[in-house]
Amino acid sequence: MNAESTREALDVASLAGDILLASGAEIFRVEETIDRIARAYGVDSSDAFVLSSGIFLTAESGKKQEFARVRHIPLSAARLDKVTAVNQLSREIEEGLHMPKEAKAWLLDIQRMPDKPRWHQVLASGVGSACFCFLFGGDVVDSMVAFLSGFVLYFYLLYLLRGRMSKIATNISGGALVTLIAVFLYQAGIGHHLDKVIIGSIIPLVPGVNFTNAIRDIADQDYIAGSVRMLDALLVTFCIALGVGLIITGYHQLAGGLQL
Amino acid sequence: MSDTIRLIAEFFAACVGTIAFALLFQVPRKYYLYCGLAGACGWICYKLILPHTTEPVSIFFATVLVILLSRSFAVYKRCPVTVFLIAGIFPLVPGSGIYWTAFYVVTNDLERAGARGFLTLKDAVAIVLGILFVFEFPQSWFRKVLTDKNK
Repeated sequence: MNAESTREALDVASLAGDILLASGAEIFRVEETIDRIARAYGVDSSDAFVLSSGIFLTAESGKKQEFARVRHIPLSAARLDKVTAVNQLSREIEEGLHMPKEAKAWLLDIQRMPDKPRWHQVLASGVGSACFCFLFGGDVVDSMVAFLSGFVLYFYLLYLLRGRMSKIATNISGGALVTLIAVFLYQAGIGHHLDKVIIGSIIPLVPGVNFTNAIRDIADQDYIAGSVRMLDALLVTFCIALGVGLIITGYHQLAGGLQL
Repeated sequence: MSDTIRLIAEFFAACVGTIAFALLFQVPRKYYLYCGLAGACGWICYKLILPHTTEPVSIFFATVLVILLSRSFAVYKRCPVTVFLIAGIFPLVPGSGIYWTAFYVVTNDLERAGARGFLTLKDAVAIVLGILFVFEFPQSWFRKVLTDKNK
């Protein structure tokens, strides 16, 4: 095994790890995948240390160090399609189906995989909000209002903001926006349960991915990654509550007293 | 609306809602139905147990069901469990707890805010315990059951 092929193999392994981590995979999956790919290409001495926002990967032969790489990967939105694709590819690499060059080309393709069309996402946010509003006890009219506010919420996130605001500002304003729509329509006489409408339409903001992953990382004893993800989830939840709270306080000041 | 019809309607609502969130997390289309099924079964389990016990307990059992289903689907379809798990758990997330806690805080009803906030925390802990519990089962159990079925 010469240095050149070790480098090529670890290139592939680290790229696979990058994509997985950035797409919302669990830490142990990232470590396992890097390890599997490296060993499938005959590198036994590699060592990967993965945090929620970075990968450290080294390999050595005897006394000489052959490979070292540190990658910074910011927390970002879930891309479970990429997780699935990389998982499939790493299985195929283990079966010996791909040479390192091919595998790298595949990975670069996976990295460039397009998002679902934005209007699908906007529609899904509306439909999801409406369904959850119904589940939490809203009637048909409430669900329609929740559809509208969930729809506007993702329209705001994907078309108007496009990720230009900080996470904190995005979630406070998102929570405030849906509450504003719900309160406005409620006041105009559309919708019967204000609380159900708001609960349904804040669900698209709820940090389910980070929360679930945080628990699983902590269970796998990846405490640092787990606490960072849990902190992220708590912060987002707190911001949503703050956004909702702001508008409701304003509404009470204007309308006076409890009307809910 | 009779209880049974409401329950059937909720099954479909939970299914469609979960699929909508699966789309937001960019789950490949061929897995939508499995995500929906996991979410809907979890919700119905929650609804059926709730009258007999407290909210955290029913959330715990519903979470256990969702994760059992997710792990089975993951073995059956040979893909990461995250794909089914994250969308499937969504109907159980205590969204109403978050809302009411925020509401009582801003209306300065701190006693109720504390009670509601604590209940929300208990719900979240129930989800945590459910996840931890099912992930302790060895992978080989799922493999055994599902390969037998396939034969």
